[in-house]
Amino acid sequence: MKMRRYLSLIIAILIIGFCGFCNLVGAEKIDENVVVINGMPVIQPDPALSMDWYDMQAVFNLYSPLVYPTPEGTIRPHLAQDWGVVDGKPDHWRFTLRQGVKFHDGSELTSEDVVFSMDRFITMGKGFSGMLGKVNAIAVDKYVVDFILEKPNTVFPEILTLFFPLNKHLVLENIQAGKYGEFGDYGENWLMTHDAGSGSYIMASHKMGESMEATRFKEYFLGWENWGPNEEPIERLKFIMETETSTLMLLLKSGQLQLEANGAFSRQALKGIMDTKGLHLNQVWPQVWTVWMNTKVPPTDDVHFRKAILYAYDYEAILREYAPFGAQETGIYPSTLPGYIVIPPQPRQQNLEKAKEELALSKYNPADVKVVFHYCGGLEAEEEICLQLQADLSKLGVNVEIVGPTWPQYAAECATPETTPNLTIFMFPLNYISADSFIYYMYHPNNVGGIYAAHWYEDEELGQLIDQSREILDFEKRPEIYRRIQEKIASQVLAFYPYEIPALFTSQDYLIGPKETFSVVGPTVNMHNWRINLTQK
Amino acid sequence: MLSASPYTRELINNKMGKYIILRLLQTVFVLFCLSLLIFFIARVMPGDPARVALGPLATREQVQELREEMHLDKPFFVQYYFWFISVLQGDLGKSLYTRRPVTTDLKEFIPATLELMIFSFLISLIIGQVMGVFAGYFRDSWFDNLFRVFSYIGIATPAFAIAIFFLLIFSYILNFAPAVGRLSLGLKPPPQISGLLILDSLFARQFNTAFEAFKHVLLPATSLAVANIAQEGRITRSSIIANLQKDYIIAHIVYGIPMRSIIFKYLLKPSLIPTVSIMGLDFACLIANAFLVETIFMWPGFSRYGVIAMLNKDLNAIIAVVLIIGVAYSLMNVIVDIIVSFLDPRIRLQRGGI
Repeated sequence: MKMRRYLSLIIAILIIGFCGFCNLVGAEKIDENVVVINGMPVIQPDPALSMDWYDMQAVFNLYSPLVYPTPEGTIRPHLAQDWGVVDGKPDHWRFTLRQGVKFHDGSELTSEDVVFSMDRFITMGKGFSGMLGKVNAIAVDKYVVDFILEKPNTVFPEILTLFFPLNKHLVLENIQAGKYGEFGDYGENWLMTHDAGSGSYIMASHKMGESMEATRFKEYFLGWENWGPNEEPIERLKFIMETETSTLMLLLKSGQLQLEANGAFSRQALKGIMDTKGLHLNQVWPQVWTVWMNTKVPPTDDVHFRKAILYAYDYEAILREYAPFGAQETGIYPSTLPGYIVIPPQPRQQNLEKAKEELALSKYNPADVKVVFHYCGGLEAEEEICLQLQADLSKLGVNVEIVGPTWPQYAAECATPETTPNLTIFMFPLNYISADSFIYYMYHPNNVGGIYAAHWYEDEELGQLIDQSREILDFEKRPEIYRRIQEKIASQVLAFYPYEIPALFTSQDYLIGPKETFSVVGPTVNMHNWRINLTQK
Repeated sequence: MLSASPYTRELINNKMGKYIILRLLQTVFVLFCLSLLIFFIARVMPGDPARVALGPLATREQVQELREEMHLDKPFFVQYYFWFISVLQGDLGKSLYTRRPVTTDLKEFIPATLELMIFSFLISLIIGQVMGVFAGYFRDSWFDNLFRVFSYIGIATPAFAIAIFFLLIFSYILNFAPAVGRLSLGLKPPPQISGLLILDSLFARQFNTAFEAFKHVLLPATSLAVANIAQEGRITRSSIIANLQKDYIIAHIVYGIPMRSIIFKYLLKPSLIPTVSIMGLDFACLIANAFLVETIFMWPGFSRYGVIAMLNKDLNAIIAVVLIIGVAYSLMNVIVDIIVSFLDPRIRLQRGGI
């Protein structure tokens, strides 16, 4: 009796309290014209430090580069309206800036800001600065900048899509103690939570590991226009940093997340999204799965053994699961880029007979060797490719050992040819809009090793061809040398390519865009490239 | 409670003071050994932190420059010396992942996890103890049976599974609570005093913000609390049952003292002693084990920061995180010992306060 009384009292209090609470609580109300975008746990918004694709998504909103990629695989004027080499030498470039471009604080962008930003970029030596090498920037006049390069480089303008001028005076007003002499820390600490850019959005707040908010820069130099009836520019962005798939699915389905820009959903999750009304899958930049074959350790040091792997893999098995997305990768780099050629063997199909023939030509007996295949631990898509190849090679009597170390260990393993496994897998997006982005960093002898070139193949002749391609000023003539480079690479069978799949971003139907889709990371998620239809919302 | 003379009280207090100082000194020694151990382990773990920090496209020269900056090219004890000197100056180094001082990261992430831990603790304390007392007192009743089933489920189910379940039911289906983050979109956070959003909002008299922050902490805190409710409730239940059989309790019952007085005056205090020890460890455990819940609810906490640091071989952050966890466990042990000695006079007097 007493127990019932006590319990009844407690239950009554809980119910009343809960009901009262329920009247007051509710899922957070999202403002009308705000778009919530998912990123990664840490965003690095300083353009001199950003180095990963999720950083670039934020940077392309806050800052503007001198030149901008195009969907066709070239570049177009952006902050710079014109550029060219001086005296025909591709180690001396001159850029003429657009006049009247404003930074977020209202001051005008001039060559002084560009020179300061380039000096800062090179001196700090982080992010993508290594791609430019040593660059000396000189302000010729208020709107003209010269860049003197260490070596001739005709793809220098393309690489400049990764360089974002900052507001010099604003940065210098906010420097703190640091190791860069009179420049202190070059504003590194301040730029963590502020921006000094001229991009389409202004950073409103940045809480590391939690969120970054930005508001529309109404004086953006490219202007804002409605695309159609009720299709308005987005007023406010919030980048959140969530990685858990179940939470992301919940946020998307409940409408609390408008754009999922991580693109790391499993096949099952993708199917779930396709079946959900109100959600839309956008195919963004192409991504090429590449399995490097280490040419310095047995048995993959034998070209016939490598060819056997090429023929043994079942290219259809996993690809059909990703339908309608994904396609067979047929070349060395994405097909959207100029100079692309299809490389043999074509079509990409499993051919066990051919594989056996190649094994017979190789100096290794399949039963006596073991192929070690490493992937980055935790990545399901990589693991399934490993398992597929293991199953395929087992039909030929080849034993494959699969290991999935953590990223630091995986990166460290690829530091020397002896420690690099026989096979390593990675997905490479384009960093800048040129075949050079793949060719130079993956195949030039100066860059062998590491995740980007874990094949360890060094060929001086190939290196000379690649250097020559960087000296050809005439854009129309580059495809020919790229063709020769690709043929030479293909003949050595340094890798096989399971499939190509675009990065798939999920958006709500009322989010209109992207207007343009680019082959490189970042600009597709510049929200100037999107609009919102509030009536549909 | 046994009465003590002023002399005895002074003796006890002095001994208690000495005991606390001794335990704290032991803690310092433990932390020193821990720092040495984790410093060594972090450097032995495979992976080049400089390469990871700069990315695969960084040049070899850039990587080497960063390695020199981090003293990674020097012998182990030289590296430890540099680190130790900077720690004595309050500098825990720079995080390679967030690119800012580790102390800044800790100041931001620890309060977030602390807020989660406090609420989780309060929820498990209130609900767990109430349920445990009722289950123990009304042993073998329907309530006790139900509680035991719940406790099995609570202990067996991992916190992340409970978190996803709560997210689905309370946030998605019933729309009762926010899904992610510490505060709603567009709401300005209060001026930071403690880093605990609810407290800081109350200090700033931003009651709406405080309520919003409370709504956000509810689901993750409850997810973490479920296992503790089950475990601590069971221990309290067992303790209540055992103490109910004690002669002095039976004597009180026979004397006709009301059950309410018996429970709150004579039964509860001794029954809580075993639970208090567990509660202390559970509280300290939360700081390290909240990772999955923090990930699911996008809670920018210390635990998530620690795991990301380990996965990215962020050396300075790894060492700082492990030290903080060590401090948490050590301090919690001391606090639990003090509380237990106050709860149980036998411990305080028989062992001279130790």
